[in-house]
Amino acid sequence: MIHRSWKIIGLALLVYVAAMSFIVPLGPGLIDFQRVTTTERLDASPEQDAPFYELIGIGTHWNALNEEQSGQLKCILKHESQLAELPVVSITDDQHAIVKVDLPDTLPSKSWDVFVIHPIDGTLLLENGLFLEDQTIEENYSWTNPSIEQLESTLTFHFPFQPRIFESIRNLMWHVPMWFTMFVLMGIGFVASIKQLSAQNKTFQFDDQALASVQTGIFFGALGLLTGSLWARYTWGAWWVDDPQLNGALITVMVYAGYLVLRASVQNRRQRAQLSAVYNLFAFTILVILLMVLPRFTESLHPGKGGNPGFNTYDLDSTLRWVFYPAVLGWILWGVWMYRLRLQFNRLDEKLKRILH
Amino acid sequence: MILQVNPLEGFFFGSGKAMVAAGVIIIIILGLAIWMFRMESRMNRLNQRLDMENPGPSDSDKS
Repeated sequence: MIHRSWKIIGLALLVYVAAMSFIVPLGPGLIDFQRVTTTERLDASPEQDAPFYELIGIGTHWNALNEEQSGQLKCILKHESQLAELPVVSITDDQHAIVKVDLPDTLPSKSWDVFVIHPIDGTLLLENGLFLEDQTIEENYSWTNPSIEQLESTLTFHFPFQPRIFESIRNLMWHVPMWFTMFVLMGIGFVASIKQLSAQNKTFQFDDQALASVQTGIFFGALGLLTGSLWARYTWGAWWVDDPQLNGALITVMVYAGYLVLRASVQNRRQRAQLSAVYNLFAFTILVILLMVLPRFTESLHPGKGGNPGFNTYDLDSTLRWVFYPAVLGWILWGVWMYRLRLQFNRLDEKLKRILH
Repeated sequence: MILQVNPLEGFFFGSGKAMVAAGVIIIIILGLAIWMFRMESRMNRLNQRLDMENPGPSDSDKS
């Protein structure tokens, strides 16, 4: 029973992840902050000469408050530690509001993040949402710093809104665990290769383990590349971009494909076990360098650029973790199960060949 | 229970299509799992049968 329970746990986790991926809604977010002319604003007074901007949200509830609460929609500009509140002139509907941008002639930056604070939607951010061209820039210029209270959303459980990613954030539960699973499987292969070299060819059971783990690992690597490429097409606009993280992943899979080619080219089992074990040690080292080390030192389009190659606080919030971590664990358990099946199959295949010949 | 926060989701969830998609994925996962359990037990049986009919050193230990 125990030898089946971990498989059932893995299966239950994946069923949970599949259900959550589809039924948890996406949270609200900001998609634009654009300048509007007075003619576009029906309620604009002709004497108002300060520029007006339209806030555009998606999934927001700006119009849902009653009259007493209607003044609670706040728009804040932020640059480093400097903050400025902008007056909200009117709320057109749940997703549109007009804001007056009356700024001094001198400012510390051209580029400003836009925050919107709302009792229902919480605090929403549009990075570099406002870019000013007419103001004089003095980096040391100090502006007003109103104290703001950032609000948490009162909405029910939802996935975080990410600009450009939108609904495709659900892919996180399917794409990223492929690489975690591949890493674990290649790790099993690495340990098996060390054991094979230590055994000095007295047994080939570790060679069998290394082969099965690499075969299964490549399968997950290929799935990672395919799902990543599809996601890139609809997020970055191209199936493949010249990026260290992406190229590193492809090279790693190719290196492991080389492991299989090497094995197929050596007929003597003793030599094959020894050569492929040595190759596998280098392959795993390359995997660690290309997927774990190199992306930390290079700029990348991939999330977590210039730091953690996987995630940081902007990419993975607390609600996603409730689904993402079970997804990683579930896929790893599933991957190990597939590895054991493959190992069993390979051994059976060898046995049958020996009997038939 | 499920909050519909934007028009696309309003359609996706409101029409019940989200549940259909989730159901299809879950059926596929469960189907694959059943297939893997059965394959595992069949290979075990075959292995035991081969060992009984052709006793000898295990393949892994043979050079």
